[in-house]
Amino acid sequence: MNHPQIAVFARSAGENTPYLRSIEGQKSLLGRTMHDLAFDEIHDEIVVTSALAQGILTFRGAANGEEAPIRFIQGDKTRIRGMGGDSAVGKVSIDSVHNEILIANGDNTILVFDRLANGNVAPKRILGGPDTQIKLGGASGTAIRVDPVHNLLLVPTGGIAGGKVLIFDRTASGNTPPRAIIQGPVAMGNQFEIYAPKLRLVTYPHGSNIEIWNIPLSGVSTEPSKKIPAPLGRGGNTETGIVLDPLHKEVIIATAAGNSIMTFSVPEVYDDWPAPSGGVPSAAAR
Amino acid sequence: MPFYRQIDKAIVSAALLAFGLVTAGAVTVATEGTASSATDNSRLVSVQQLPDNFNDPCSWEPSTSSDLPGAQVSADSPEEQALYAGLRRDAYPVLGAAVQGRAGNVQRRASSVVRAEEEDREAAEMRANGARSPVRTIRDTAPTYSAVAVDTNTNEVILQDNNLWEYQVFDRLAPTPAGPNDITPPKRTVRGDKTLIQFNNGLYVDPQGDIFSVESDTGDRMVRFPRDANGDVPPKAVLHTPHRIYNLAGSESRQEIFATVEYPPQVAVFRKDASGEDQPLRVLEGDATGLDAPHGIAVDEKDQLLFVNNWGHHSDVSVAGTGKWLPPSIKVYPLTASGEARPLRVITGDKTELDWPAAMKFDPDSGELYVANDIGQSVLVFAGAAAAQGDIAPSRVIHGPSTRLRNPTGVALDLKNKELWVSNLGNSSATVYPLDANGDASPLRVIRSAEESKRGVNFGRISAVTYDPIRQEILVPN
Repeated sequence: MNHPQIAVFARSAGENTPYLRSIEGQKSLLGRTMHDLAFDEIHDEIVVTSALAQGILTFRGAANGEEAPIRFIQGDKTRIRGMGGDSAVGKVSIDSVHNEILIANGDNTILVFDRLANGNVAPKRILGGPDTQIKLGGASGTAIRVDPVHNLLLVPTGGIAGGKVLIFDRTASGNTPPRAIIQGPVAMGNQFEIYAPKLRLVTYPHGSNIEIWNIPLSGVSTEPSKKIPAPLGRGGNTETGIVLDPLHKEVIIATAAGNSIMTFSVPEVYDDWPAPSGGVPSAAAR
Repeated sequence: MPFYRQIDKAIVSAALLAFGLVTAGAVTVATEGTASSATDNSRLVSVQQLPDNFNDPCSWEPSTSSDLPGAQVSADSPEEQALYAGLRRDAYPVLGAAVQGRAGNVQRRASSVVRAEEEDREAAEMRANGARSPVRTIRDTAPTYSAVAVDTNTNEVILQDNNLWEYQVFDRLAPTPAGPNDITPPKRTVRGDKTLIQFNNGLYVDPQGDIFSVESDTGDRMVRFPRDANGDVPPKAVLHTPHRIYNLAGSESRQEIFATVEYPPQVAVFRKDASGEDQPLRVLEGDATGLDAPHGIAVDEKDQLLFVNNWGHHSDVSVAGTGKWLPPSIKVYPLTASGEARPLRVITGDKTELDWPAAMKFDPDSGELYVANDIGQSVLVFAGAAAAQGDIAPSRVIHGPSTRLRNPTGVALDLKNKELWVSNLGNSSATVYPLDANGDASPLRVIRSAEESKRGVNFGRISAVTYDPIRQEILVPN
């Protein structure tokens, strides 16, 4: 955070491997508290917040060095502000299929912008209100993620301490209740991810396990998570980051206080699960 | 509003097509690198189990009480108003309590107590019992030097290591390592769970040799060690500080320590011997101050001035849509400025070359201000700093391949020996120059804690990550 770069490494990088490139410097508009970012693999773009300036930045996927964003969203029309109990802008997600950028806003709303929005623009949708049950506050804030295949928007409550995950239709707006809930409690790291083909949510809460939860399409799921013990060492008890690499069936963890990126082979996230002996395959085996 | 249960087949088709294209592209460019095996290299680091009520260490606990007088609140609901008021007040819990007259009810931000060694040990035990090990780990095993100080009484140089959570003390006259893979041996290293050092960034060494180290995240502490501290030892004093401190400066004539806080932006001034929950003597904050993501700070005791550099990230935490990006700047205040004091002068503009300016030092003999210029890969020197203002060019710029500067973020002046020390975040080194160096100057000596060709990863609390399946690359924000 004292040098708020975005460093880019080869997937195969290891100990003491230098980064391939880094986005940095005044022109980048980057600043500290980048607690979430997203890669748009369809349009080859990077989306990240500039938290202390209440802005959302979009860079070329191959951005390098002191490079300016190709677009930014900032200004009084945006309604962007501090995140819950934090003073920083909330976490960002990209729906590259439907060309939308989503942000968890400090007033317990989800703001949805057109992906190509630039400058001082209003959100195209706002989801929030008592019926939504959205509570992004608490101290930890929360990431949000879209499943563009099943048209879902996942909004956790409770942050690191754990809580429900609210599941909305992707295009829900206003004071709309969730269509489904994972009762949990689902403890979160700084980020979580969705593996859409299997309708699974993957998280690394502080502790020592990768946790895999099934995502219900309706109703309230009380199904427990599948836990994969994968200790991080230093950093395991701070808020971690997480991203999936489906091609290689890997899970990549940012360890925060550990100052390291750890990649685990976790085929369980991506593969069918065996049916319980003598039983019917659970929803987890989808 | 009704549930949206209709699936738009066209969009799903587009989604599947897009996924297919991306996957195909990913397969096409897939060039499986050599996956290093799980490393068992133990680092002397670990993390303590956090308390049950642990919350995000980079965020603030909401307050349950009402706002401070003077707080600018335009939040929508009473709950939010209390939240933002709490945010402002939590920086100084006891001060806030005093204002409100109910000290017992004031909550403080949870601090992260890190016991790095213990958690590494626990992880090793779990892996020995079947837990999964990482197939690859990206990390730096060398120090990331964020700040430098020099103690001319003992001819020692102190370097803050933001990566391994330590500071190291070197002989000021240690020669540049002879071979490209040789390193400079430290005289002492202060590191370990007892030291409470984590993400240490700001550094000040007083004339008695006491070392003040402040962190920029997680634990919100300034720790103070005696000159001869060595190993895993507890600090002689611990001060609970605001969150998001970047840098320190000291005034010996006033016996004060100045700290920049990146956000909400302020300069907090403490008694030099403050500890525990001691409150700042004064705080410079508010829109009128022009503080926007303040970083480096320097004291000019001769002219009774305070220099603060800013990166320009601006917003009011309590008001939506107030964000702006302003040009980087150096702002000059009276040394005793407090409250919403306006800067006396502002140095800003393209000619200044400021680019993520970091630590600064003022030379009272020459009247020059030295600025570590991280992304500029330079040290900027402004002559006549006490009166400088506007879009002015530095009088000297140390920059170029011969300098061996790489992401310089720390500067220290050795006025006794007429030397300028620089800590380089990006290559595990400190370089020293004649005080009047200019241009592509070679260092007189180099303290190096890694090979000569070192390029550090510059990690500093990486709590998010994403993946580029097109190029098969991992993107890591600091």
